[in-house]
Amino acid sequence: MSKSSDLIHGTLDLLILNTLALQPQHGWAIAKRIQQVSKEVLQVSQGALYPALHRLEQQGWIRSDWTVTEGGRDAKCYTLTKAGRVQLQKELEQWERMSNAVGLVIRMAPEPSA
Amino acid sequence: MSRRLDILRLRWRSLFRRDSVERELDKELAFHLAQQIEENIAHGMNPREAREAALRTLGGYTQIQEDCRDMRRTNFIETLAGDLRYAIRSLRRTPAFTAIIVLTLALSIGANSAIFSVIQGVLLRPLPYPQPDRLVRIYFQSDTQPKFPLNPNDFLDFRHRNRTFESVAAITRHDVQLSGSGQPVMLSGFLVSAGYFHMLGLTPARGREFGADDELQRGRSVILSDRTWRTRFSADPAILGRTITLDQVPFSVVGIMPAGVHHPGNNFHAVSDGETVDVWCPFDFGENPKDRGSHYLDVFGRLKPGVSPQQANTDLSAVLAQMKIEQGYLGWRVYTLPLFQETVGRMRNMLLLLLGSVGLLLLIACVNAANLLLARASARVREIAVRSALGAARSRIVRQLLTESMVIAVAGAALGTLLAVGGVRVLVACLPAGFPRASQIRLDSGVFLFTLMVAVLTGLLFGLVPAITASRADLQKSLSGRGETAAGRQSRLRNLLVVGETALACVLLIGAGLLLHSFVNLLRTDPGFRPQQVLTASISLPYEQYREVPKRVQFFQHLTAALQNTPGIATAGVGSDLPWTGYDGNADGYRIEGRPEDFKTTARYHIASPDYFRALGIPRLHGRSFTDRDTADALPVAVINESMANRYWPGEDAVGKRISFMYHPKEKDWIRIIGVVRDVKDQPDSSWVRPAFWLAHAQESDRGMYVVVRFTSTPSAAAAQLRDAVRQLNPDLAVADVRFMDQIADAAFSSQRFALFLVALFAALALALATFGMYGVISYSVNRRMGEFGLRMALGARPWDLTRMIVGQGLSLAAVGAAIGLGSALALGRLLASLLYGVRPADPVTLIAVASLALTTAAIACYLPARRATGADPLRSLRSE
Repeated sequence: MSKSSDLIHGTLDLLILNTLALQPQHGWAIAKRIQQVSKEVLQVSQGALYPALHRLEQQGWIRSDWTVTEGGRDAKCYTLTKAGRVQLQKELEQWERMSNAVGLVIRMAPEPSA
Repeated sequence: MSRRLDILRLRWRSLFRRDSVERELDKELAFHLAQQIEENIAHGMNPREAREAALRTLGGYTQIQEDCRDMRRTNFIETLAGDLRYAIRSLRRTPAFTAIIVLTLALSIGANSAIFSVIQGVLLRPLPYPQPDRLVRIYFQSDTQPKFPLNPNDFLDFRHRNRTFESVAAITRHDVQLSGSGQPVMLSGFLVSAGYFHMLGLTPARGREFGADDELQRGRSVILSDRTWRTRFSADPAILGRTITLDQVPFSVVGIMPAGVHHPGNNFHAVSDGETVDVWCPFDFGENPKDRGSHYLDVFGRLKPGVSPQQANTDLSAVLAQMKIEQGYLGWRVYTLPLFQETVGRMRNMLLLLLGSVGLLLLIACVNAANLLLARASARVREIAVRSALGAARSRIVRQLLTESMVIAVAGAALGTLLAVGGVRVLVACLPAGFPRASQIRLDSGVFLFTLMVAVLTGLLFGLVPAITASRADLQKSLSGRGETAAGRQSRLRNLLVVGETALACVLLIGAGLLLHSFVNLLRTDPGFRPQQVLTASISLPYEQYREVPKRVQFFQHLTAALQNTPGIATAGVGSDLPWTGYDGNADGYRIEGRPEDFKTTARYHIASPDYFRALGIPRLHGRSFTDRDTADALPVAVINESMANRYWPGEDAVGKRISFMYHPKEKDWIRIIGVVRDVKDQPDSSWVRPAFWLAHAQESDRGMYVVVRFTSTPSAAAAQLRDAVRQLNPDLAVADVRFMDQIADAAFSSQRFALFLVALFAALALALATFGMYGVISYSVNRRMGEFGLRMALGARPWDLTRMIVGQGLSLAAVGAAIGLGSALALGRLLASLLYGVRPADPVTLIAVASLALTTAAIACYLPARRATGADPLRSLRSE
């Protein structure tokens, strides 16, 4: 069972919001998409995904509606709200800053001796 | 904005539409599962494999549910609601258990709330004046007089020369007779110095208060209390500036005080604090500019900000030192103390005793509840084991069990509050006479807060131990068999609780026993007078009608003569004071003929008519009493009490000796002692009797006197005869304070009776609870050992052996408890010492009585289970094993 520890802590929200920015999707599709786009590097377990979705919904960043899929099943479809878009922007900027900073630190480090 | 609304809607839905939210989550996860299965099949698995693999990746389904609930942030409330529902359901399954535990808690929490509301009103609430902590009382003090009133001229010196007071004020009681319409009535009145109300921080609702001018012109102005204004003058605002007739003299109304103006209480001719005063008139300082001898002013002061009572005391002492040089008198010190301490100080110990007693009672109720919960927990071992086997965390079980005890505690507190509402009324009605601040006792938000806190604390206190013990139960053993180890540990714990309960109950019982013994001692002490069949009343002759002293003397002589000629009346006399009503008259320094003046001979000063002692039944020990021949023209004479004779003439005959109050007495200033009477204490529990003497009424009269009538007829007839006799002499006189001496004697015991009654009540409840706890524990242990008893019986043990064994088990617990209780009571006894009379805290009678009471009730509590054990059929007991 892949755990959310595969993901850098705190980035799941960012990934979900970013995925939903393209189009409304249900939980399964969100997980699949993250998996595919990351070339199977990022595995999102249900145990992490659904609580996260519920948390984001409670924050008012995403909204949920029931839709019928092509296969004729009922699915809960999540949409990014306006507040969610703002939040995504914030999280993206923060991620940029963080990854730049981490990159800097790594590059400044002395070369490992042979 | 819409985001906030959305969030609100979601929260609402999560909390109150919980089922549909959960259903949606199920559907959502089901969809996910279906997608996963589809994908797995697409990857070539067969449907069964696909399903199993999908389920594996889904992980703990309930875990996801839980986590999602957590994310909805309502989990806590939902769990609580669930716990509450579960707790209530499980408590309702055992109604008898629930009722007993709730009732015992309600009783003790109710008692605590009721006593706390008294403490809150009396000790915790600030006095009803602005910045009350700056208010102080100022007294004189000497070796024999702890709190002595001031002389007007001393007060003036203090007022002019102090540096530490914002203002000082003096008051003295001066009841007045209001006439003009209908029957004359006595009003409770005070003469006050200028700025008295300002000193207290009060302002009149209408008009003004007294200024410096009022002090000079033989006080012809008056301020009315709100109550007097409403009841006597039908709240007529035009009364301001008009004149009313007080003591047959016109007074002009200059002010009306608002409702809720509290008299701060006073010592000299005491009127208790509260809304007890009807009218205030200005004190006239012009009367005796030279007099430094008579002390009758109760003095108050408002300290400047930041000044302590000690600093004020030092300041006034410096003033007094100067006065000593100027006036040449010695022996006095200044005594300044906070008004709050003065008001409630004497009741503090008793209230703390009561609080301690109800606190102990509550503790016992808690132990009892814990005991019952433990018993219940052992019956629920399997239920709890099943729940933890199903994955409930231990903390979850503790929380569940604690919720149960909280529900019990809150139910107890709710019921207890209802009891307290009634209890406070009863308490206030039973308060001893003159209890300070009685009017301010009520159940208010502070008391409710206290009750709530007590409820939560008791819930934790009695719930925690059983909850932890229960949750610790060994899973395997509880499920498979009878969980003997857990049961063993629990019965040890329960034994401990019973020991604790017994110990606490013993402490309370000893408290009650000491108070009872002390009360019996009080009742058995010879009061020094005979209170039965004695009627008393106070009569105050208006100054205008009775300016001349002979007229005053004559009035009372005619009154007593008329009464003595009335059938049904044995004797009648008048005197300046009544026994046990709180003495506050002057005590004067005097000198003894033939001895050097040392300023240490002091005694109390009273006035009595010839038959005063006979009417009160105060025996004459030696010499003679006053007679009609002791007139104003005859040689001055005095009767003294035993203590004065023993103190100043030890081993000598005091009769025939002469004393004087003058510094340089002439022949006519010497007063001859003619008789000695039996001592009467200030209060029944006073530790000593102050030296006192009486001057003959014909030689030293006052306008206000107490009439004392010993009657042989009925009380109501005597009271009517007294009123008639007064009316025939002067129809305009009011007869006030009509009381019977046995009522006064009764009231003098009221503090002790009050404390005794309450502590005894709490102790009885405590004993009942402890006995009940003992019964529970022994009963439980007997039930567990039925098989063993059956075996013993089968092997030839006699019923007596079993009874002895079982009762012995209980008695050993009780003995340990009683020993601990007695030990603690001895340690705590000092706290009680100030409330006891003629009893040491380590009173052997009480200790032995309490120990045997505790052991006897324990034996009775054990006897019932023991009879069950011996009465059971041994065969059946063995079979049920």
